[in-house]
Amino acid sequence: MNLLQHVGRYSLLMYQTFSVPQKWKLFLKQTGKEVEKLGADSLSITLIISLFMGAVMTMQTQMNIENPLLPRYTVGLVTRDTLLLEFCSSILCLILAGKVGSNISSEIGTMRISEQIDAMEIMGVNTANFIILPKIIGFVLFIPFLVICSMFCGLIGGYFVSLFTDLITPATYIYGIQYWFVPWYVYYSIIKAVIFAFTIASVSSYYGYYVNGGALEVGKASTNAVVNSSILILLFNVILTKILLS
Amino acid sequence: MIQLEDIHKSFEQKEVLKGISTVFETGKTNLIIGQSGSGKTVLLKCVVGLLDPDSGDIIYDNRHSSEMNQKERTHLRSELGMLFQGSALFDSMTIQDNVLFPLRMFSELSEKEQVDRAKYCLDRVGLNDAYTLFPSEISGGMQKRAAIARAISLNPKYLFCDEPNSGLDPLTSIKIDELIMDITEEYKMTTVINTHDMNSVVTMGEKIIFIYQGDKEWEGSKEELFHSRNEKLNDFVFASKFFKKATEHIVKD
Repeated sequence: MNLLQHVGRYSLLMYQTFSVPQKWKLFLKQTGKEVEKLGADSLSITLIISLFMGAVMTMQTQMNIENPLLPRYTVGLVTRDTLLLEFCSSILCLILAGKVGSNISSEIGTMRISEQIDAMEIMGVNTANFIILPKIIGFVLFIPFLVICSMFCGLIGGYFVSLFTDLITPATYIYGIQYWFVPWYVYYSIIKAVIFAFTIASVSSYYGYYVNGGALEVGKASTNAVVNSSILILLFNVILTKILLS
Repeated sequence: MIQLEDIHKSFEQKEVLKGISTVFETGKTNLIIGQSGSGKTVLLKCVVGLLDPDSGDIIYDNRHSSEMNQKERTHLRSELGMLFQGSALFDSMTIQDNVLFPLRMFSELSEKEQVDRAKYCLDRVGLNDAYTLFPSEISGGMQKRAAIARAISLNPKYLFCDEPNSGLDPLTSIKIDELIMDITEEYKMTTVINTHDMNSVVTMGEKIIFIYQGDKEWEGSKEELFHSRNEKLNDFVFASKFFKKATEHIVKD
């Protein structure tokens, strides 16, 4: 199947997905479950990764800035801007593409090969709408919260470095992360993450929905979902950076 | 009653159904038999609407599938119940929630009425002690019964079963067959069963259609089946030596 066919089939699936739910009550209940499963369950990994990455970024920046002309607070500033501009949106979403993307793809793929989707279709359920839409909405709704938590934890990680090592003093670090703060960077990061979250949820659903075969194909679909979501995130990252920051 | 008129279906170059015409009668268990790969499942999927035939027409009680709009198709689907080979229960839901699913999705009943209906259906198939269990916590036979309960929850006019006995022991198979027969009679449904289990044919076969390499090779009742001179049918029916000898004794008697 060539790229154009994939794009066409993906577009048709999204058209089918974004229709009015047949039963709002069931849709809202399902969306709540997805918020918990895809969003809230990703919170711990987000916090852990962000904390350690924030700490490592602070150490790396300090160790690689030896120019006496650069003020010491540059470490805090660089850590903050790296977190806000790239880590908390792009890198975090690349990590979540692995966790959430494979989860979505394998779940829907298993439903397909075990005929659960067929069973719903025979009942007259719009399966794309019932299964995929709550996942997209749930993940897109929760991702801003994950991004904000990631920013906060990353900065805390850097603060711990200043607290427990002699690389930088806490006061200098705090001054650095406050210096020349651009609030737009936070919005920029959230906007990017929302688009990446949509990409992860929809592309992974697409691969899961069209699984044909058995367990091997579900595994392949899961891999394809993660790989292609990641590539699209990188591509959109370039485009969005050009649009939002230039 | 469901009428099939010259149903053709191909996948790329391979012609799987080569013009099948037949009638599935109301209040009877209609069996589609044939070897694996003969096109039984594809035919059933065409009848339930999971696959679109390349040509031909399916007529559900004077309603032509080829002339239906989307709304009419959705309405028709609410009249269908299907039992899948692997049960196809939703594994994230309890047995009761599985049966409640079509009711919540399509009925206008109150929550209490929906729960009562689900419990009635589960009691009807003998699963009154499995309401809160998940599909993975019950046996294959119980899963089939739960799937039957889900299929009948909306009082369907048509019931389709794809190899209802696959993976079950002979005793459980007989119970499932009897349950399907009882339900067919009770609800006056048009039941279509796809099977290659000869025990089921003997138990339930009120009308039998034999499919051979995508063609309807033979059609008749189970009494006619044992006296047929169709070579391909006999090769299929009497593939088991035990079955052949048992039938010879029955015919002699």
